[in-house]
Amino acid sequence: MSTSNHEADSLAPGEAPDRKQGAPGGVIVLFFIVGFALSMAFGWLVFPKLLYSEKNQPFDFNHKIHMDLVDSGCESCHVFREDGTYAGVPTLAQCADCHQDVQGESKDEEVFVNEYVANEKEVPWLIYSRQPDCVFFSHAAHVKMAEMECKECHGDIGESESLKVYRENRITGYSQDIWGENIAGIRKNTWDGMKMTDCGKCHEERMGSKGPCFQCHK
Amino acid sequence: MKKETEHKPGKKYGMVIDLDKCTGCGSCMAACMAENNVPCKDDESNKLSSITWIRVYRLTNRKPFPETEICYLPRPCMHCGGVGDQGHSPCVSVCPATATDYDHGTGIVSQIYTRCFGCRYCMAACPYHARYFNWWDPVWPGDLKKTLSPNVSPRMRGVVEKCSFCFHRYQLAMEKAYVEGRRDLEEGEYQTACTQACPSGAITFGDLDNPDHAVAKMKEHPNAFRLLERLQTNPKVYYISSREWVRRAGDNYLKNEPTNSKPRAAAHHG
Amino acid sequence: MKIDRRSFLALGLGAAAGTAFTPLPWKLTDDASIWTQNWRWLPLPEDGDVTYETTACTLCPGGCGIRVRKVKDRIVKIEGLPEHPVNQGGICALGISGTQILYGGSRVTSPMRRSGDRGKNEWTRITWDEALAEVKAQINALVDADKADTIACITGSDRGTVPLLFKRLLAVLGSPNFMTTATMEDSYRAVFRKMHGLKGPVDVRFDFENTGFVLSFGSGLIEGWGSPLRMIRAANVWKANKTPMIQVEQRLSNTAAFSGGLLAVNPGTEADLALGLCHAIISGNLHQAGSVSGFAEFANLLKQKYSVDTVATKTGLKATAIVDLARKFANPASRSVAVCGRGKGTTAGSMREFMAVHALNILAGRVNAPGGVFAVPAPDDIAWAGDTVMTSAISGKTRIDEAGTGAYTLADSLLNRIPSGIVEKGESSIGLLFVSEANPVYTLSGTKNVRKAFKKIPYIVSFATCLDDTTAYADLILPNHSYLERYQDVPVRAGLSKPLVNLTKPVSAPVYDTQNVGDTVISIAKSLEGSVAEAFPWENYEDCLAKTLGGRWETLKEKGFVEGEANPVALGNVILPSEMPDIPAISGDGNLPLILLPKDSMRLWGDAVADPPFALKIVPDTELKGTETVVEVSPKTAVAQGLEDGKEAVLTTTLKSVTVKVAVSDGIMDGVVAIPRGLGRSSAEKYLDDKGVNVCELMEPQEDKVSGFDAVIGTRASLKRA
Repeated sequence: MSTSNHEADSLAPGEAPDRKQGAPGGVIVLFFIVGFALSMAFGWLVFPKLLYSEKNQPFDFNHKIHMDLVDSGCESCHVFREDGTYAGVPTLAQCADCHQDVQGESKDEEVFVNEYVANEKEVPWLIYSRQPDCVFFSHAAHVKMAEMECKECHGDIGESESLKVYRENRITGYSQDIWGENIAGIRKNTWDGMKMTDCGKCHEERMGSKGPCFQCHK
Repeated sequence: MKKETEHKPGKKYGMVIDLDKCTGCGSCMAACMAENNVPCKDDESNKLSSITWIRVYRLTNRKPFPETEICYLPRPCMHCGGVGDQGHSPCVSVCPATATDYDHGTGIVSQIYTRCFGCRYCMAACPYHARYFNWWDPVWPGDLKKTLSPNVSPRMRGVVEKCSFCFHRYQLAMEKAYVEGRRDLEEGEYQTACTQACPSGAITFGDLDNPDHAVAKMKEHPNAFRLLERLQTNPKVYYISSREWVRRAGDNYLKNEPTNSKPRAAAHHG
Repeated sequence: MKIDRRSFLALGLGAAAGTAFTPLPWKLTDDASIWTQNWRWLPLPEDGDVTYETTACTLCPGGCGIRVRKVKDRIVKIEGLPEHPVNQGGICALGISGTQILYGGSRVTSPMRRSGDRGKNEWTRITWDEALAEVKAQINALVDADKADTIACITGSDRGTVPLLFKRLLAVLGSPNFMTTATMEDSYRAVFRKMHGLKGPVDVRFDFENTGFVLSFGSGLIEGWGSPLRMIRAANVWKANKTPMIQVEQRLSNTAAFSGGLLAVNPGTEADLALGLCHAIISGNLHQAGSVSGFAEFANLLKQKYSVDTVATKTGLKATAIVDLARKFANPASRSVAVCGRGKGTTAGSMREFMAVHALNILAGRVNAPGGVFAVPAPDDIAWAGDTVMTSAISGKTRIDEAGTGAYTLADSLLNRIPSGIVEKGESSIGLLFVSEANPVYTLSGTKNVRKAFKKIPYIVSFATCLDDTTAYADLILPNHSYLERYQDVPVRAGLSKPLVNLTKPVSAPVYDTQNVGDTVISIAKSLEGSVAEAFPWENYEDCLAKTLGGRWETLKEKGFVEGEANPVALGNVILPSEMPDIPAISGDGNLPLILLPKDSMRLWGDAVADPPFALKIVPDTELKGTETVVEVSPKTAVAQGLEDGKEAVLTTTLKSVTVKVAVSDGIMDGVVAIPRGLGRSSAEKYLDDKGVNVCELMEPQEDKVSGFDAVIGTRASLKRA
């Protein structure tokens, strides 16, 4: 690199700056491009990695095996309570109905039975679709009344053989699945995001309006 | 504006409070706080900063003892519909954050705490002092946290809160209806906590537009009135009192002006 | 290639431009805004299965049924039980606040031994074994010294298995000193004994649902007299039926305001008014004929001392108004009833007033008549083997309070006589004191003397659920479960028209290291072995309940309450008094210019249970402001005493001088100062602690010459600008 023009940065008093002697336009453009490229790379590739911390579930779970065993699909375990509210992730008692003792050969089941069932300790599952406390989401309205498929919002989780890594947003504390895996917020599938805008978009399409605030807030 | 006028006809939930029955016991206030995770500060005797979504006011006829009379008046949020129930409630109109809106499906004025940034315009706009500001973070010391209901989100410092007509109860009632394949609620399925608790049965809650609901008839009572009716806020809370001085206390009457228990123009507007 | 500052600027610009084309700024803005909405120190209520369980409320004697809403194992809300006969779904502010007692900061979380001075509420945690051993040692020491009859017990009620277990423990040890805190129900019982010659336990019931005319002598029928929820419902029926409600009082209480029929008489002249009405009834020949002894003497007494004119002057009413009221009251078509017992009825009150009001009911034929007042036998459905033997063994022994003997035959227990007795003697006649579901240090008048007396009692065992003014004087606390964590049968009196037994159920698992007081008493008895242990043959308290309640146990567990039928006692001969006891209703120094009257607020509870945070929050600022009690005076009184609304003043009685705030109100008579009951507690709960003044500190007790109860209803006072 040349340093012949270093005086340009330290002009003597009274001396007019000589622009011609500065870095040529090409260099400036190059730097601009480098800066541009670096920040693009950071923004698109590094930032998403930095933004989320990775957490593992207490042990792995195979949805597919269970789906093959039950009769009523997702609702076999993810039940509606009698009062119409949705129970979400099954409780220990539900699982222990079958898993009082180790049944298969999987290490994960062993962990479950020995650590949780035996000690009557609820499994601290990390919930990918956990919404903020201010959100009221009615599964009944969507699944029962509008007869939507679980998949429409949750994707093909029922066919998964293992649980993916839980990625928690370091700033908000929410799961990455709320914003969606695409950092730009681009959605290909209906289950690619669970933010208010996603709810609103679907409501606008199907109901004609986003609805009042209290429809989904509490 | 256009969107608002195009809404499909919905419910119009409202309340009729019989002041002749109210004893001033304050049960409605306590029931509301327990239902809605309203916190308690060490000192709640400064009533300007004490959050009580429904507040029982004590009115007197200002006559000397023993001709003095007292009337207790519970005041929840009035869930004003504005002229013609267009949703131009005083508070909704001024909120710069869209943290409060008017639900044309139920007639309820919402308050979204996470959306509110605490400018308090709505408090200034509300003629009923029904809105409260969280000057402090709520505190539930020790095991008192166990009393918190998951149905209502606790509020943080710096936001406004108010009576929601226990909207979460509507949400829960609707969930139950949905799993039973219904879209409509029976009158008893959605009731507010204050209505339920009142030892006198002074509060009646229901759909003001549904002739099968008790409130629809009660609001037509000759002694029924609303607060500051002539502001045309079109409140959804009606009061009944057999005492004329109480009915007059509900609005700013001039000394010789006759008590007019019906609104002047608002009723014919929508 | 030349690199200079501009190159770096270009790099920066490029970076900035590039960043704008990445999701970073937008995503960060979004995340930051979400971050501001979720403050991590805010508790997030945990979701879970919601269940409802039914039980009963015991926070006041009213006997309401409640249901609790649980999320998993947490009780998040208490609501009224729609199918309960007393409250039919309604509930009061105190009942709603019950969750804040269950989880509140004043709970006693384990057995504790006093570590500080008495009155300080300073404690060391101990185990249940240590605690029970200590009680055993204390009892044995007294038994060995042949002083077992100095063991005493104070409970909030004498009904149901728990109080009776205490009574039995005392009896089998040879002590008759089982005491309860006196309420208006004890005065009613005394008046039936005095004026109908009844012996033994009677309950007084009111047929308010069928009443056609209510004349209340200062009773806070709306504020919580008897069973608050039942009374509010009854009052609403009266209003709907246009049943006249006349409230004799000096201020516009909630009852007076609701009734719309305030009759303001001079303070302390309520009994005179009742007697004046009697005179008007007799002279108008409006009285009901019946088997009455002493009628002529009574009539003569009225004529001499309580003629309508005399009473008119004394009460400040017009003679015509008295005659008119008497006429309406005595009209058989009115189905009238006169009631007394001041405020919420948590104090005994003056027998002069009770006798006068009862005479009025008698003359109008309102005793044991539909819509009137009834005497019914107290239920004797709790019978244990050996009861009679134990009772006769202690019947010869003199009670420390002398109740039931000599001059005090009308009362079953006279707790109010204990403090003065101890202070006068300079030593404690009680060797060991048990306190359960009562807060005598707070509720007895003349607090200073009460404290002095409790300091002198050698050993006090408290079975409290929450720390309070009385636990502060205890040596040992064996904490009881809260009412939401335990089984207990609760027979309800409260003037209900039908006998009712409620059952509290453990709707919550024990939150702390506490134990059902029933189990504690049984294990104390078992630890004493011999005949004492034999008198408690049950495995545990639940076993005792099941065996005692027999067939009702299952019904109670399922339904939560059992209602009975009320069959009136045959009253026989009525004995009208030939002379009225001369007890000044207002105690204190006559030179003080004003009369201080306690007021029972609808939102402040002045009895054993203190206001939890929700209940305290709704207390108006005309009763409590900051940490000061607010007293109510009329505008004229304010001017006369140089007082200003909202400003501080010094309130002085013969017992104490305190700083209060003043609220000037149109709703009160001149010359009267009304002070709310229920403040000035040391509850070890930050919300209520040391706020305001306890009315009992200001009130000089006044022993009633007829019943022996504390008759004080007001005291002389001065109120001067601070």
